[in-house]
Amino acid sequence: MARTNADSLPASITRLPVIGTHMRPNIEAVLAQRPDLVLQMAGRKEASLPVEALRKHGVRVAVFHAATFAELFSVIRRVGVLTGSTAQAEAMVRGLEARLAVIDARISATTGRPKALFEVRSPNMLAAGQSGLVDEIIRRAGGVNCVADAAKFSRLSEEEVIRLAPEAYLIQRGPMNPAPLPLNERPRLRAIPAAVSGKAWFVDEQKYSRPGPRNVDAVEELAALLHPEIKSPAKGRATTKHSKNKDKQ
Amino acid sequence: MTTGARDSRAQGRDLRTKVLWISLICAASLVSGIVACGLGSFPSTPAQTLNALLQALGVRSGQPVDPALSVVVVDIRLARVALAWLTGAALATAGCVFQGVLRNPLADAFTLGVSGGAAFGASVAILTGVGSGLAGGALVDNLGGLSLGGLAGSAGLLPLFALAGALLALGAVLALGRAGGGPSGGMNRETLVLAGIVVSTFLSALISLLKSLDEESVSSIVFWIMGSFQGRGFEHVRLALPYMAVGLGLVLWRARELDLLALGEGQARLLGLNAGRSRLWLLIGASLLSGAAVAVSGVIGFVGLVVPHLLRLVVGAGHRTLLPASALLGGLLLLWSDVLARSILPGGAELPVGVVTALVGGPFFCLLLGKRFRGQA
Repeated sequence: MARTNADSLPASITRLPVIGTHMRPNIEAVLAQRPDLVLQMAGRKEASLPVEALRKHGVRVAVFHAATFAELFSVIRRVGVLTGSTAQAEAMVRGLEARLAVIDARISATTGRPKALFEVRSPNMLAAGQSGLVDEIIRRAGGVNCVADAAKFSRLSEEEVIRLAPEAYLIQRGPMNPAPLPLNERPRLRAIPAAVSGKAWFVDEQKYSRPGPRNVDAVEELAALLHPEIKSPAKGRATTKHSKNKDKQ
Repeated sequence: MTTGARDSRAQGRDLRTKVLWISLICAASLVSGIVACGLGSFPSTPAQTLNALLQALGVRSGQPVDPALSVVVVDIRLARVALAWLTGAALATAGCVFQGVLRNPLADAFTLGVSGGAAFGASVAILTGVGSGLAGGALVDNLGGLSLGGLAGSAGLLPLFALAGALLALGAVLALGRAGGGPSGGMNRETLVLAGIVVSTFLSALISLLKSLDEESVSSIVFWIMGSFQGRGFEHVRLALPYMAVGLGLVLWRARELDLLALGEGQARLLGLNAGRSRLWLLIGASLLSGAAVAVSGVIGFVGLVVPHLLRLVVGAGHRTLLPASALLGGLLLLWSDVLARSILPGGAELPVGVVTALVGGPFFCLLLGKRFRGQA
């Protein structure tokens, strides 16, 4: 019945009223909607403040945390229970799991696991670490996250990126990284394997870094990019240098 | 020289001390520059580092250099050494001038709103997305006919926004100072300092406004304001160097007048100095220096404060020696601060260099103050 400023998918929800931003929702606007249920994604510490405030006003708030596909599917099922649409949620999870299984089977037939780096933000570089959905997306798509940091995000210097020598370089584009330069326009990263081979792509932040059903699209898209030899069921649009998309790499 | 023989002997000793100190700092800078090119998270032996540096100079040594190592040593480390040294030199010189002109031992680029202006300019650039990447590139393309495009180059428009912010802030401070300077139109230093504080405070409120308008940019703005050389390269050196050179030339040319101004305005007038005009030129020179420094590196504190104070103890207060000595030592200090910033954390993460200078500079400044108080007692 309402959304935050940043929510724009699916397109039909843009008609709904906005209650502020995801980091600082306007409590008054939330209460004005007289909600039966408020869903919130667990994140940074400040995010729990509005939850406390809403609970104090007697609003039911369910807080979810999804850092793996298993957790994501459990969240979808629980939201199904809370909203009285258990069957739809179950069907959705089954469908997503089936698609992941297809990719798993195709990837297990391939050899070679390219070292990938997922750029969360630049130029003041932040890369995806080992904990979080991006790491699992890379693994399921037949790659290895070359950032060894156990945290969700890792701050890296350019020198460290060169030392890690990623063979595939993924640059997310979205609110966290509004105007990243393509890899071939970054002279100091010209010697990394991904730049030499041209295996560098822009990807959609919403698809990779926001937990949701679209993370499965991300796995399909990335699997086709990292392992073009598999017959790809990918529906996602890859924005490679060589593709005919208008997206300029 | 009309002084007696004893005086001239003392002056000779003085001169020798000054020359000794300056050559010491020069030598240390050179050695540090080369050593710093060998330090970082990418593994490299001293021989490999030297080899890569020599190759960049066009000296062929026969041994092939790993292209990745060559990028790391030359394009990243050497560029950062050069940029850190230049920035440190500019900040220390500017601090020295601000302290002399305003006769305020705590004055630096923050006092006159120059840093605040640059930070505001950078925040606008980050918020509108012209700071880096495609939007900036497109804008540069559109401005192709102007020299601005070539000037910004691959560094993006952020440094230009920051520089423009710095100069606009200074302009506002000078205008305010002039307006408040009474019917004669002259500026007095109290008015200038007050105007600087007013402008700084207003600008920091504007930065807070920008941050609260766009939560996604907060971390970028905060990181920029803390000051860092991460991701900087020779394009930033090329961008800052002309402004720094002009600024340095201006303040060195007026160094003698700075000595007179430091005596106080009345004394300076008695000695035949047009105090208002020389103050204006010196402030413009120092603002070019600090504006260019802040534009490429973000806000870095304490260098402009600690270095001139330390050097006054060893080379004296004469600005013709103090200014070049400050430049050299400021460069050396920031060079090593940046090496610490990029190598102290494990896992290839970096500290903002502004944090390092504050952590090193704060306690050091306290020591200096303590020493001075004991000296006076």
